[in-house]
Amino acid sequence: MAAGTGQVHERGDAFVEVRELRKVFDGITAVDGVSFTIQRGEIFGLLGPNGAGKTTTIRMMATTLPVTSGDVIVAGHSVHDDPAAVRRHIGVCPQELALYPELSALDNLMFFGLMGGLTRAEARSRAMENLELVGLADRARHRVAKFSGGMKRRVNLAIALMSRPELLFLDEPTVGVDPQSRNHIFTTIEGLRDGGMTVLYTTHYMEEADRLCDRVAIMDAGRIVALDTPHNLKARLGDPEKVTLEDVFLHLTGRRLRDEG
Amino acid sequence: MGHEDTRGDMRECGAVATGGRAVPARGGVGVRPLVVAGKELKTYLLDVQALFFSLALPLLLVGLMVAAFGGQDEFHATAYVVNLDRGEVGADLVARLDAAPGIEVELLDEGTAARRLDRSQILCAIVIPPGFSDDVKAGRPPELIIRRRGTGGREGQIVVSYALGLTREVAGEHLVAGRVTEVLAGMGRPAARETVDARVAALFAEARAEPPVEVVEEAVGARAEPVAIYLPGLVSMFALFSLTLVSVGIVEERKKGTLERLMTTRLTRGELLTGMWLGSIGRGLLQILFLLGVAWPIFRIFTPASFARVVAFSALVVVSAAGIGLVIAALARTAEQANWIAVFFTMVMTTLGGSFFDVSGARGVLGVASRLTYNFWANDGLRRLIARGETLASPAVLTDMAVLAGIAVVSWAVAAAFFRVRADER
Ligand SMILES: Nc1ncnc2c1ncn2[C@@H]1O[C@H](COP(=O)(O)OP(=O)(O)OP(=O)(O)O)[C@@H](O)[C@H]1O
Ligand SMILES: [Mg+2]
Repeated sequence: MAAGTGQVHERGDAFVEVRELRKVFDGITAVDGVSFTIQRGEIFGLLGPNGAGKTTTIRMMATTLPVTSGDVIVAGHSVHDDPAAVRRHIGVCPQELALYPELSALDNLMFFGLMGGLTRAEARSRAMENLELVGLADRARHRVAKFSGGMKRRVNLAIALMSRPELLFLDEPTVGVDPQSRNHIFTTIEGLRDGGMTVLYTTHYMEEADRLCDRVAIMDAGRIVALDTPHNLKARLGDPEKVTLEDVFLHLTGRRLRDEG
Repeated sequence: MGHEDTRGDMRECGAVATGGRAVPARGGVGVRPLVVAGKELKTYLLDVQALFFSLALPLLLVGLMVAAFGGQDEFHATAYVVNLDRGEVGADLVARLDAAPGIEVELLDEGTAARRLDRSQILCAIVIPPGFSDDVKAGRPPELIIRRRGTGGREGQIVVSYALGLTREVAGEHLVAGRVTEVLAGMGRPAARETVDARVAALFAEARAEPPVEVVEEAVGARAEPVAIYLPGLVSMFALFSLTLVSVGIVEERKKGTLERLMTTRLTRGELLTGMWLGSIGRGLLQILFLLGVAWPIFRIFTPASFARVVAFSALVVVSAAGIGLVIAALARTAEQANWIAVFFTMVMTTLGGSFFDVSGARGVLGVASRLTYNFWANDGLRRLIARGETLASPAVLTDMAVLAGIAVVSWAVAAAFFRVRADER
């Protein structure tokens, strides 16, 4: 069960509701009864050490991984019962780069746009808009294979925005990205939030979560161990001006390395 | 179970909250597979390595075929002639030699001929000496001088014996004309020699134009051209090879997560599978059109109609090979596995199916085993169309097509049943 420390929202506000979500892979429980809600227009952080179950949770929320039990309701549609309806509301920026390196950035974006139901003209103009947004407009026709890691990350993000989703899943979008690119990505996300987009964000950089997220859930071993605003979480340990989110994170999840088993 | 009861009202609030913002459905079911196929084709055309293996390699094999079977052309030789005769008989001889099948005359002056012989640039020259016409007309045996290095070469020997035969022919015709003149005079009906010559020459010319011998050419075996056996083998092998290797790319996409990502768009699993299948078919068609297009002018084994038939049949070959590729993509867990299965499968099927030797008459175990391969039916149909000039309506070709269609349907069904979008599916 969730730690239950989050603010209590009236259910009517919730755009996303995750209910007792569980995933068991061949005896390994990756996600162990996770529940939370996300408000419309909120940036919701999902934090946790390696193997905590963040990606597994996102895959279930994004309809690509069947749930073992529990459910996720997005805009009133169940991922279990009506995944097609859920897909009309979401955009996913996966942790692993999922794009076509042989194709140009523009072709990548247009392809996913067409798959999302756009016409060719719409896909083209939106692709150019998105490339502008992530600062790659001048490289639109270059092959993604020739891009740097950070540029590929930005293409990965731009693809997720092709359907102008109401709910955007960002699974570690800033891994391997330099401070300039990262800053660009932050401004992009904040701009999208201001435009009304709801975002689920995972990261290992606590200062990112502190800056961006309205609320964060800290996961460990498939469970949510804390859920609150960054400010409230820090206040639990002491002076929120002095305590960092990283202190909170380490306090809650311990200092043991995750791959030591 | 506690959450079940809240689902209903959640949906309602969701629907209200959503408003009209969801992207309306557009670009119907029919279009998306085509877009996927187009993307696959584009990727293929941008991939230099894939292009090399699927286009350049077959071309290389066609080149090897030309090298291996190119020497089976008809006889062709050049006759080097020095014509020192000033009369019309010498010129007539040259003209007849030039008209002989496979022989082309090159006239040289004496000095050039001597020099070239000296340098071994030519091995044999035929000299028509001065007075050749006079000798022939006078009924004296004419002289023909053969200058040669060594044996004069095989071509030279053939040219010389041809020239000797023609000389005998020309001299004989004039001899006949002379005798006819004498006979006419003896019968008390003298005629001018010129008139007789002209009349006799005309008669002989007539006889040459319509030779009293009719040649019936009987080919032993059905158009024994090796090209007609090997080209179908190449077509079916390359279609299978490259389309089973498509599976490697699909497995990689599955691992990379692009397939899973596509599932968060409106693309359905069925559309994805159809799109990849169509892309694979397009790729195979491009490849085969290229291979056959190159083979056409080189081997001259097609008419426009037979080319069209072969292309139509090949389309079915490609469709079934694409299906087999999808099955491998569905069953293989890793890219290495897919690669290994594709190569092994192609090798076994190609060999058993008779791409390199004709197994259509095989009996027993080999006969049964070869009929279990896709290549057998592909090769059989293509060979019938190319070598025997059969049409798509011939019963044997129809059988081949039915089997290929069956392979396509079954492989599609197997692929659809087992295809996975995620690496951790099932
Ligand atoms: N396909 C799978 N098959 C088996 N186990 C899996 C699979 N995917 C994830 N797991 C396991 O589930 C657990 C959670 O993995 P997950 O990828 O969700 O973690 P994460 O929080 O995203 O970690 P990271 O921060 O490293 O990305 C891990 O123990 C992982 O080994
Ligand atoms: Mg992860």
